[in-house]
Amino acid sequence: MNVAVCVKQIPDPAGELSLDPSTNTLVREGKLILDDSDSYGVEMALQLAESAGGGDVTLISMAPNGETSGLRTALAMGAAGAVLVSDDALAGSDALGTARVLAAVVQRIQPDLVLAATESTDGYTGTTPVQLAELLGWPSVTFAKHVEVTPDSVAVRRQTEAGYDEVTSPLPAVVTVTAGVVEPRYPSFKGIMAARSKPVEELTVSDLGIDVSRVGWAGARQEVVSVQAAEERQSGEIVTDEGDAHEKIVGYLERIKVL
Amino acid sequence: MDFRPSPEQEMLKEAVAKIAGGFGHSYFQLKAREGGKQDELWHALGDAGFLGVHLPERYGGGGMGIAELTIVCEEVAAAGCPLLLILVSPAICATLIGKFGSEEQRQRWLPPLASGEKRMAFAITEPDAGSNSHRISTTATRDGDEWRLNGTKYYISGVDEAEAVLVVARTGTDEQTGRAKLSLFVVDTDSPGFVATHIPVEIAAPEKQFTLFFDNLPLAHDRLLGTEGDGLHQVFAGLNPERLMGAAVGCGIGRYALDKAAAYARERSVWGRPIGTHQGLAHPLAEAKVEVELARLMLAKAAWSYDNDVDAGEAANMAKYAAAEAALHALDQAMQTHGGNGLASEYGLADLWGTARLLRTAPVSREMILNFVAQHSLHLPKSY
Ligand SMILES: Cc1cc2nc3c(=O)[nH]c(=O)nc-3n(C[C@H](O)[C@H](O)[C@H](O)COP(=O)(O)OP(=O)(O)OC[C@H]3O[C@@H](n4cnc5c(N)ncnc54)[C@H](O)[C@@H]3O)c2cc1C
Ligand SMILES: Cc1cc2nc3c(=O)[nH]c(=O)nc-3n(C[C@H](O)[C@H](O)[C@H](O)COP(=O)(O)OP(=O)(O)OC[C@H]3O[C@@H](n4cnc5c(N)ncnc54)[C@H](O)[C@@H]3O)c2cc1C
Repeated sequence: MNVAVCVKQIPDPAGELSLDPSTNTLVREGKLILDDSDSYGVEMALQLAESAGGGDVTLISMAPNGETSGLRTALAMGAAGAVLVSDDALAGSDALGTARVLAAVVQRIQPDLVLAATESTDGYTGTTPVQLAELLGWPSVTFAKHVEVTPDSVAVRRQTEAGYDEVTSPLPAVVTVTAGVVEPRYPSFKGIMAARSKPVEELTVSDLGIDVSRVGWAGARQEVVSVQAAEERQSGEIVTDEGDAHEKIVGYLERIKVL
Repeated sequence: MDFRPSPEQEMLKEAVAKIAGGFGHSYFQLKAREGGKQDELWHALGDAGFLGVHLPERYGGGGMGIAELTIVCEEVAAAGCPLLLILVSPAICATLIGKFGSEEQRQRWLPPLASGEKRMAFAITEPDAGSNSHRISTTATRDGDEWRLNGTKYYISGVDEAEAVLVVARTGTDEQTGRAKLSLFVVDTDSPGFVATHIPVEIAAPEKQFTLFFDNLPLAHDRLLGTEGDGLHQVFAGLNPERLMGAAVGCGIGRYALDKAAAYARERSVWGRPIGTHQGLAHPLAEAKVEVELARLMLAKAAWSYDNDVDAGEAANMAKYAAAEAALHALDQAMQTHGGNGLASEYGLADLWGTARLLRTAPVSREMILNFVAQHSLHLPKSY
């Protein structure tokens, strides 16, 4: 069972983030780290490959400036190798442009299964993986909270508002996993030291045979027109308990129509 | 000169910060209060191979250096759960066994120390021989091809968590100088004739200190580590790693305190703007930040020197001194920044005072470091 995991490398959410005032997009110049959302996909892929009795876990990432920091973290967790697509022509890519690039890599490495996160932490449109599946002509199953594989199919418990659906799909397929689906392992020291010598293949848009007019600013159909600061959160209402706190809280919940 | 950590060191730092961050200072406080140990944290670090990063791979270690172990030690402290046993078990004991142990002793002890499965305490201090190790009176005498150990050690950390203690004992006297000839022994904590009594101290930490009494304690011949009579020289080989870990704990506590203080000073508003706006608070915090970063720089230099076989004594002593002072200043200023909350258990600062303060005294006192610097760096006459 060869599993590919889409991993996004993002600016550290705990650090200081800024938007480029001319494009209204996130500045991605400094060090990028593994998106926490994708650590679940990596862990899931490692577990699936182990339970299938072998096979490789390969990471796929598109990121600026040849960034590999986040990939090294996932390699230290145990992935066998990575493909990184990095190219100035990709600046400004929207989710569809990103999906095109990821699809070209998937076609190149031909995995049995592709995992991605339900949504990324920084962009969180949650649209890349399904567009990737569409471009590949593969089935996609989203919001997986439990995944099992057989040699030719994948069985998924798909999170719904009420509970979960059981979905079975033929392979190859694209599956997106929710946060918390598995407990991502910490990289061990051996894993960290081994990550150094694992292969990271770096490709450009032309290596993948993609027309540059279909990616980056040139191909983007999405434009960030304006950005506004989020409204400051109102300070909460403090209920002092004089024996009637429960009534006040129920009254409040009724006012905001939760009850 | 390249001051950047390697990518592996960065990943190590991140991974340890993640593990320790998952426990955090509330875990440390809870264990300290309930008399528990930070076992879960210790084993999480050990299982990931982080307690043996500096030991050879053939004994289950990570094959890197003391610099990597200082990263582990500092990150754990920076997460608010300092582990003093890192100074002792991996830093001194495993280092000494790796350097001076027989092949059999290495195979027996290094893998479980590297994995954290076993812990070893270190006992040199005695009631009448603290700063002056030449006066050690705990004695090992030959008994056939075995040894018998008699004497008292005190302020020995973590004996209740350890399977064994590396004990520095007198095995003879130098006839010319009258000084002790010392040797190192690995003593099991469940040996007959081994008694440990707890010393109450005002340090709110899970790790405890003990007085040890050895009463005619039998030691098989394979318990002698290295060369008989060469113990003091051997111990010196473990002191730099210990100082470096002491410095790492100080740097970690300093970072922890400043992170908290800065976050608080950005948020808390008394006169309609964040208190961090007032230079009366901002400058002392900035000063403390400078001190912590300078200590970290000296720590990095000392660790690099040690790992590259460059004499690390001066840098290790200076790093230990600077880190202890920086930790105390940072913690004090962090408490001041928090106003009354600085003393509250909930804010997790005041309870670290004892831990930070002990770094000025142990593993080597501030004065003994200044003696070293005066004598070796400034070539001033020795006073003792
Ligand atoms: C204006 C603009 C500028 C951009 N500039 C750049 C740029 O300069 N360089 C660049 O590389 N990208 C750039 N991007 C791409 C962007 O960062 C995202 O990769 C893309 O838009 C996906 O959107 P999302 O974050 O909403 O992903 P979602 O659809 O929320 O992501 C879901 C999952 O898909 C996978 N995934 C998403 N993106 C990637 C990725 N890049 N690599 C691997 N897996 C992925 C992950 O598993 C992720 O968790 C830009 C995007 C925009 C809109
Ligand atoms: C919490 C804690 C944990 C410890 N853990 C361990 C452990 O695990 N193993 C272990 O072996 N020991 C341990 N120690 C002991 C510690 O290393 C000693 O306390 C320390 O080395 C000082 O020795 P002392 O207490 O005997 O002080 P003393 O040697 O009695 O010194 C008293 C004071 O005199 C000063 N002084 C002494 N000589 C000079 C001089 N020549 N010039 C100037 N000033 C001088 C000292 O700096 C100190 O301020 C621990 C101590 C503490 C508090």
